Amino acid sequence: MEYQIDIVNQILIFAMFALSLNLLLGYAGQGSIAHAAFGAVGGYAAGYLSAKSGLGFAPSVLIAVVTSLIAGTLASLPALRLGEEYLILLTFAFSTIVISIVIAWSKLGGAYGLLGIQQMNLFGHDLPDPSDKFPLLLVLFLIVFAFCWRLGESPFGRLLKAIREDELATRSLGKNVYAYKVIVFGVTSAIAGLAGALFVYYNQLASPQEFSVNVSISIIAMVVFGGSANLFGSVLGAALIVVSGPVLEKWVSLGEEKAALWRLLLYGAALVVLMVLRPQGIIPERSSLRGWLSPLFRRRAPTPALVPELSAAMAGAGAPAPTATSAAPENAPAFVGAAQLGAVTSGLRQDVAQDRLVQQREIGVATLPSTATVREPVLVVRGLRKSFGGITAVDGVDLDLPAGEVTGLIGPNGAGKSTLFGLFTGFLRPDAGTVLLRGTDVRGKSPDAVAGLGMVRSFQDVRMFQGLTVLENVMLAEPRQPGENLGGLFLRPASVSSSERRVREHALEYLAFVGLVEKADWLTAGLAYAEQKLAAIARVLATGAEVLLLDEPTSGVDPRWVDSVAAVIRGLPALGKTVCIVEHNLAFLEKIGAPCYFMEAGKITAKATVGELMTDERLRKAYFGV
Amino acid sequence: MNLHQFFQLFVNGTINGSRYALLGVSFALIISVTGRFHLAYVLSYTLAAYAASSTADAWGFPFPLAALAGIIVAIAVGVAIEVVVYRPIARKAGGSALLTIFVAALGLTIAAENAIRLTWGSASENLSGLPRNGLSIGDVTFTALDVISLIVFWVLIVGLTLFLQRTRQGRLITAVRVNPEMARVVGIDPDRIYLLVFAIGSALGGVAAILFTVKYAAVPDMGLDAVFKGFLVAFLAGTASSPTRIAGAAVLLGLVESLSGLWLKAQWSPLVVFSVLFIYLTLLPLDFWRPRRLVSAFAR
Repeated sequence: MEYQIDIVNQILIFAMFALSLNLLLGYAGQGSIAHAAFGAVGGYAAGYLSAKSGLGFAPSVLIAVVTSLIAGTLASLPALRLGEEYLILLTFAFSTIVISIVIAWSKLGGAYGLLGIQQMNLFGHDLPDPSDKFPLLLVLFLIVFAFCWRLGESPFGRLLKAIREDELATRSLGKNVYAYKVIVFGVTSAIAGLAGALFVYYNQLASPQEFSVNVSISIIAMVVFGGSANLFGSVLGAALIVVSGPVLEKWVSLGEEKAALWRLLLYGAALVVLMVLRPQGIIPERSSLRGWLSPLFRRRAPTPALVPELSAAMAGAGAPAPTATSAAPENAPAFVGAAQLGAVTSGLRQDVAQDRLVQQREIGVATLPSTATVREPVLVVRGLRKSFGGITAVDGVDLDLPAGEVTGLIGPNGAGKSTLFGLFTGFLRPDAGTVLLRGTDVRGKSPDAVAGLGMVRSFQDVRMFQGLTVLENVMLAEPRQPGENLGGLFLRPASVSSSERRVREHALEYLAFVGLVEKADWLTAGLAYAEQKLAAIARVLATGAEVLLLDEPTSGVDPRWVDSVAAVIRGLPALGKTVCIVEHNLAFLEKIGAPCYFMEAGKITAKATVGELMTDERLRKAYFGV
Repeated sequence: MNLHQFFQLFVNGTINGSRYALLGVSFALIISVTGRFHLAYVLSYTLAAYAASSTADAWGFPFPLAALAGIIVAIAVGVAIEVVVYRPIARKAGGSALLTIFVAALGLTIAAENAIRLTWGSASENLSGLPRNGLSIGDVTFTALDVISLIVFWVLIVGLTLFLQRTRQGRLITAVRVNPEMARVVGIDPDRIYLLVFAIGSALGGVAAILFTVKYAAVPDMGLDAVFKGFLVAFLAGTASSPTRIAGAAVLLGLVESLSGLWLKAQWSPLVVFSVLFIYLTLLPLDFWRPRRLVSAFAR
């Protein structure tokens, strides 16, 4: 019996390793091959304190956790600013260095390991046998599981997944990606340190080979076998890999040495096969017990009150959203007819949606700007300049965005339009000039800081988080959620869940505004390209930013959808938004009726309506080449 | 510290650094062109060494033939990994394949190491056939093998540079590295270029492994340290840099690692290597080679 309990205990310890690594690898998408090395930091700290200083079990483990937290945070600081390859490289290096220090440092026992570690001890009682240790390990395992669950299956975890899917897009929504990466790396290392300390106490031995790169790989295998971003999977993975040892040794009777080699060979090979055939692992992300029993617990999105109203309005106009607008051209072949129909439906849609939005919360500016007042420019750009090597992409641009208006930015390919958006939002650093957002110079601020000040951009290539649902994409964009920081998650659970309900409601409203509420629970990857573009508008809206910079919202969009996009964009000023659109589709801009800046070769050369542009010989030539 | 010790460590550092250079150049070629984080480079490296020593041992191959066998095995392994593992994963995962490929490469690495232990045992395997007599300049000693290795490493590095610059195939490789989409548009088949790159990179790694085996011995886990050094050098220099720049960084790393022995015991030299990497990565986002950027980064 003790033999079996011993195996279960080992599973519990390795499950702690796997659970924490899953946060890093599965949720946040950061590869690390130093997980066992952080276990070594904790394990050796605890072992040293126990063997050499005679410190008790609980305090040594606590110190071990803190040590590995600090080590993990410090070690990751430089690499997390860089691409994922650098983190792999740095953790690789960290792993080598930890093992060589341990071997080189005679006080830590050298190559043979550190002996003389005391028994696990609880309230003055030694825990000599596996069955004595089991309850303690089980409790600690459950705590770690609950902790990881809270982090992973919460707004925090949603954010981690967004980082995994697209770091740049996450930053564009105002999230400080770097800080989150450091936090999750630190937390992950701390848990690895805990597991390492428990492992060392459990065996009363700390030895270098127990924490080598190969052990890190086996922990990665646990996570990947079980399923990335699925915590139950990690426990299953840990069980499979730990049990494989005794199975090969006893049942296949290979003998201890051969069994160990076969075990590594087999799970290495299994990793390769799995990556080729089923990279999502045994229990994929988003599947849980509830998922398996889905016929019993059919999860439905609570439909917001808005939706029936909205669809009633749509039905009244003879056009249910969103297929309606897409079907419109077929119903009314004449282009003008279609546009009118679009206008009617969008008018209705806006009225309903906008009333709700304005009632329920302030978005950007509190009062809707009336057409009568003179509009202050919200964004004032002067003398902006940027060159890449010898090419001046933006050459002294002056530009104003008047509050509550849609302004177009047009010009031939390569004129510098997208570069301009990059410069406004902190993705690129201008060489000279000022970008004043409501009087604050945002030049040199990071994308997330600029978003926090109220200006966000969308991307020409949408950059929706494909592995998240449409609703999650939009919920994520909401600023200042208490569930996105550790303090909120663990100290104010009530405020987290009430915020989560509110954020969800808002997100559904934004999705209703762009006509996508029915597809809220779809994975974004399943949406048509045009729908993704609409969802991207909902996502920038959800940031609450006042200034929205939309990069080619209709490029690559099926012509049938263009009217829907136009309707949505025309509705934005009524929500208090100031909008700038980069666009090639002039008919679209004309429909919106936006005044346009005309940009050529890095310079603004005219400001005109699309109509004026069409009649001006020179501009027409610059744009169309005819 | 005395002058003799300095020169001896300098020579050792140059020899090691030149080996890192060949590894770094080949690894950088693979990652910059194909984007695959090819940790399973370990396989090509280790199996080349074992193939050479086994064919020499069991079938009595003379050294040149055994070395050739090793290099062919290295190429075959590298190309097979690309075709059987990496390419299908990349097809499936698209742009986000880096981590998946990396995990698969980890799996290959660990499986191969243990397959080698099961086949050949965990003891070391030897390979002879190159002169290893000691030479000296003044007090500084080295072996004929070191001189041969040095010549081979640098001939290969310069040869690769010339190949990439001067030949049609080489320019095709550069084209795919710089812009795979455009390369495809003008009719270059990236898949074929990838295979070529894996073949070249694996062959160069095989050469490094065989010379290492002649100098020391082949052991099942010999590949990990070699690949680590290759990674390190490639990233320190920038994976898209020219082979000469990567080789320069490698020699510098070899020297730093070796000369640290003037002050530290040899077992601490990994700590020095790690510190170099850590400092470099800390400074990297600050663009420290552009002083103006540095000032503004601190002012932020």
